Amino acid sequence: MSDIKIKSKNLNVYYGNKQALFDVNLDLNEKEVTALIGPSGCGKSTFIRCINRMNDVIDICKVTGNIEIDGIEINSKELDVVSLRERVGMVFQKPNPFPKSIYDNISYGPKIHGKGESKNELDEIVENSLRKAALWEEVKDRLNEPGTGLSGGQQQRLCIARAISVNPEVILMDEPCSALDPIATAKIEELIDELKKTYTIVIVTHSMAQAVRVSQKTGFFHLGKLIEVGKTEKIFKNPDNKMTQDYITGRFG
Amino acid sequence: MWLKELLKNIEKNMTKEKRLKKRHNAEKRFRFYGLASIFLALLFVLILVQNIFSKGSSAFMKTAINVEVFYDPELLGVKNGATKDEILEADFFDITIETLLKTFPTNNLDEENQLIDLFTTDAELEIKNALINNSNLLGKTVSLEITSSDDIDQLHKGNYPRDLPEERRRISNFQLSIYDNFLENKKIIKNFNNYFFKNGDSRDPEIAGIGGALVGSFYSILICLLLSFPIAVLASIYLEEFAPKNKITDFIEININNLAAVPSIVYGLLALQILLATIQLPRSTPLVAGITLALMTLPRIIIPCRASLKAVPPSIREGALAVGASKFQSVFHHVVPLALPGTLSGTIIGLAQALGETAPLILIGMVAFVVDIPSTPIDPSSSLPVQVYLWSESAERGFVEKTSATIMMLLSFLIVMNFLAVYLRQKFEKRWN
Repeated sequence: MSDIKIKSKNLNVYYGNKQALFDVNLDLNEKEVTALIGPSGCGKSTFIRCINRMNDVIDICKVTGNIEIDGIEINSKELDVVSLRERVGMVFQKPNPFPKSIYDNISYGPKIHGKGESKNELDEIVENSLRKAALWEEVKDRLNEPGTGLSGGQQQRLCIARAISVNPEVILMDEPCSALDPIATAKIEELIDELKKTYTIVIVTHSMAQAVRVSQKTGFFHLGKLIEVGKTEKIFKNPDNKMTQDYITGRFG
Repeated sequence: MWLKELLKNIEKNMTKEKRLKKRHNAEKRFRFYGLASIFLALLFVLILVQNIFSKGSSAFMKTAINVEVFYDPELLGVKNGATKDEILEADFFDITIETLLKTFPTNNLDEENQLIDLFTTDAELEIKNALINNSNLLGKTVSLEITSSDDIDQLHKGNYPRDLPEERRRISNFQLSIYDNFLENKKIIKNFNNYFFKNGDSRDPEIAGIGGALVGSFYSILICLLLSFPIAVLASIYLEEFAPKNKITDFIEININNLAAVPSIVYGLLALQILLATIQLPRSTPLVAGITLALMTLPRIIIPCRASLKAVPPSIREGALAVGASKFQSVFHHVVPLALPGTLSGTIIGLAQALGETAPLILIGMVAFVVDIPSTPIDPSSSLPVQVYLWSESAERGFVEKTSATIMMLLSFLIVMNFLAVYLRQKFEKRWN
């Protein structure tokens, strides 16, 4: 269970002149949930956006250092970012389903990667993804209705299903529950528990309780630095660092 | 001491009430100003529309005079049972004169001329066409409705003051008496003015029409659309989605905005210099007009098109990228379809502006007097707004109503296009909300 899936070494990120991450060294284990916590603007999201090179989209963003997935450097120029993102899916803070039907939302990824040649195969992928995202029962009768017509929690699960549809190895979740009510949040957390059997999951969260509930490993970021990382239990019960202690007890942040 | 306190309190309360009242009054005043401006704007629009309608609506009817024509084969110089080709060759001048002179007794050449002047200069053509359409009429007498001259038309529509002294009137007393006689015998008829839509321009108002201008405008706008739409859409997609954000793209962006504000006549000068003088494209043609209008319309489409691309939330792009779509796929599968309604309505409004554009077309020679209806985009032609300009300068009374009627046509096209733009935007945007 403790095979290292993702390894970052001396990762620095700059937005123009501003440095957002300072020498982050963080190992993420396979088929485990790693939670990243820390106050706003501390670089958690920046970090996970490095893992699928989502920062490439931002013109002024510059990344130095290494991130390896299964021992392969992903920041190299030779690596095709499209195939990287096929392996590393992402779920965003705000549910962002495409303004298309539920079916098209899920089938889009497989289609562009040439998976699911026939209609039947696609149907199967769509059903499997929705089942894994615990959404199938709720939407199976209205797959042709727009995905934007679902409730917030359903939309987020639709986005998770969309991420699953291309069968990635890693799923990055950037505060997936921050826009959801407690019931929807509980459902997503349940789902994360289920998904970690198949996928390596990295989740950014502002909720300590959520980190405790879903993760096995927790990293605490502050001002772009990784302050402390360790087993979730340890971080929340007996952190080594004073700052971590202060943050989890709500003294700042 | 306590009295002072009390007074202070009262004053405080007073000022509070006063301030509240002032705030309410300010709001009331603002509402009133707003309402007043809307009413004023509506009033101006109403005056404009009323003015155009009252002047222009009569142009859709024309006055005709019922006459008896005897298609005399001898006079035409053809034998009985002549074929269509032979009729086409025949000379209808004599038969026309004879027909028209029969309508009222005259004593001398001057009176004859005055009588003939009551009919359109195209009377000969109308008599000829009636026979060509039905060659059985040869050798028979039929009653035909011959279009009246512009003067009689205007007199009959009540646009011509007949109580002026004769020397200041275009219609003589003798002609007036003929008119009254025709009127008494119910020979004067009003019917739908098909010439207005079918004919090209003419020096004679009664047979002048916007047919040529319609076709010219159609070709110009078509060429404008074909050139400007793809270029503008591709340019905006590139600038908005792919181009790096640096000084060069900033410079381009500023200049696109500048170009949209350049007076249209400048584009006319450009076209005159480059398209006509240098490349030597044919003058006065819808081809040149289309290219000129396309130049002018480009920035006006690029701006709304970029705005609608910008309005697509970045989360959609990220969502697509995150499942492994390439930049190109994320743009063309997701962003562009979402921006399409805004792009289309921007394009239609840009084209509507181009349709009403006059100045550059005058410079490239579309102001020329063109009688023929263009059959291809490289035939000399007019266009609707230029036709308005041309007719508004003409002295004849008949052109006054024709000018307004042309404006009505132009306005209705613009209104239809704008409605189409609104409809497209609403229809496609609703789909996902």
